[in-house]
Amino acid sequence: MSYVKCLKCRECKREYSIGPTHVCEFCFGPLEVVYDYEKIKENLTRETIEERPKSMWRYRELLPLNGDPSVGMNVGYTPLIRAEGLARALGVKELYLKNDAVNHPTLSFKDRVVSVALSKAKEFGFRIVACASTGNLANSVAALAAAGGLESYIFVPYDLEQGKILGTLVYGTNLIGIKGSYDEVNRLCSEIAENYGWAFVNINIRPFYAEGSKTFGFEIAEQLGWKVPQHVVVPMAGGSLITKIWKGFKELEEIGLLEGVNTKIHGAQASGSSPITSALKEGIDWIKPQKPRTIAKSLAIGNPADGHYALKTIRESGGWGEDVTDEDVIEGMRLLAKTEGIFTETAGGVTVGVTKKLIEQGVIPRNESILISVTGNGLKTQEAIQDRVGHPLIIDAKLTEFMKIFEAKQKETESRIQITI
Amino acid sequence: MNNREEEMEIQVRIPTPLRKLTGEQDVIKAKGKTVGEVIHWLTETYPGLKERLRDEQGELRRFINIYVNDEDIRFIQNLETPLKEGDQLSIIPAIAGGSFARRRVTLTFPPKLIKEPVIYNIGHRFKVITNIRSANVSENMGWVTLEIDGEEEEYSKALHYLNDIGVIVEPVERNVIE
Repeated sequence: MSYVKCLKCRECKREYSIGPTHVCEFCFGPLEVVYDYEKIKENLTRETIEERPKSMWRYRELLPLNGDPSVGMNVGYTPLIRAEGLARALGVKELYLKNDAVNHPTLSFKDRVVSVALSKAKEFGFRIVACASTGNLANSVAALAAAGGLESYIFVPYDLEQGKILGTLVYGTNLIGIKGSYDEVNRLCSEIAENYGWAFVNINIRPFYAEGSKTFGFEIAEQLGWKVPQHVVVPMAGGSLITKIWKGFKELEEIGLLEGVNTKIHGAQASGSSPITSALKEGIDWIKPQKPRTIAKSLAIGNPADGHYALKTIRESGGWGEDVTDEDVIEGMRLLAKTEGIFTETAGGVTVGVTKKLIEQGVIPRNESILISVTGNGLKTQEAIQDRVGHPLIIDAKLTEFMKIFEAKQKETESRIQITI
Repeated sequence: MNNREEEMEIQVRIPTPLRKLTGEQDVIKAKGKTVGEVIHWLTETYPGLKERLRDEQGELRRFINIYVNDEDIRFIQNLETPLKEGDQLSIIPAIAGGSFARRRVTLTFPPKLIKEPVIYNIGHRFKVITNIRSANVSENMGWVTLEIDGEEEEYSKALHYLNDIGVIVEPVERNVIE
């Protein structure tokens, strides 16, 4: 049973029937899925949700499928943890991490959007799926298409991290590396989408695809005992996730599962690719495209499709945004690993770095509850950090060798303690 | 103000979704000394265009991008951007795609190339997108009318390649195909 009413233009509000389309024919604004919230309210309770299997599909009434999902049944419901160690390091009282670095099956939040997109593509009758990607989406589309018996074409900038290339090719997809930036890949894919009758998950399937991100927000609320944190920090690339986390909170409020949503949503970017935070700081409501230059390649989108709406979400929720240097990104990754045992990718380093910055600026008060969105896994972006984690100590297989090293280590620690005293 | 300036013509490229309103014209010779004046001239001349380009408050719609010679007007002087003779103005939906030119050519294949995947090859080697509009291939001869999308440089590289391997390339007048 579906609660979806129609697609609606976010700009001029014209309505369209459900189909693989994403742009308003009249004003060229983006289309969004509209639900019958009254009916959902009558049929969905906290108890119903809590009894269901632990995946993102426990919120299926708020997702745009007609029938059962056919791709990605086990995606979502990732750990939400109280981060005591990182809280101490940042000097704050109540800190949480929502950890999609261990999302199933490809270790990023993109599995959420792709499972909705591919299930919907199958409902529409597509046999070939495609995407433009900075890497994580490529991994996810390739894996879930393989699992769902779909053929896939994936377009990426040719200079992506090796882990993301390999982690796409292994699933037997058609991977095309474009000599250009992601924005050029994206532009090319719009043209390809017009000429080939494929399901491009982030183009003609985008209204459905984007809805999957709401489950990141739904899970935060449920896992905190049907409450929301006072601050949520979200990495921004195309700007879709941040708007959908906010939409997720507002929907739960609308159907009566959540009360008093007062979360401030903060956006995080890398300084080398900061079109959204720049517009925020300049106080304008349109995006000046940039040419991205950052190690956070998964966020390197200079002309974000949902930039305008990301800005709107930040402003509407009373949040703010910041951007950090590549150096801070690496520091953020290391800090999270050392304090919480979580190895996130560069985008996670951005989010941790920005959270730190916002706390230091006083934008996020130290005594309020904060949640950091960890959206991807560090094993995929090893190049970014490989020169910064030290080296193993290589010794012969002799006890005396080890003892020598161990003594040296202890002395090092002692002298460090003395310095601290 | 001399006469020449008053009658200055600006070429405006119209995106496919709006061509119904311009009598299927893809390029219009419009009048105006600034971008705003050209837009005004267009919406006066083709009445249906007004509500497509401007919202209820008269502002340019958010997902309409306007380029003067490939530069976004938001980076120049917006609607106040002055125009000079020969400038080209493009109206481009923000989400629907890029500022690609779409060109049509007829390719005639000599017998030795009939079995070669020539069209696939140009799409593969160059940043162009091909779309076959009509074709006739027999054992000894073949021709294909092709729409080629892509930036100028890639497009001309593709044409050079076709010439080099022995394909005869001829431009197609627009109205021949549609």
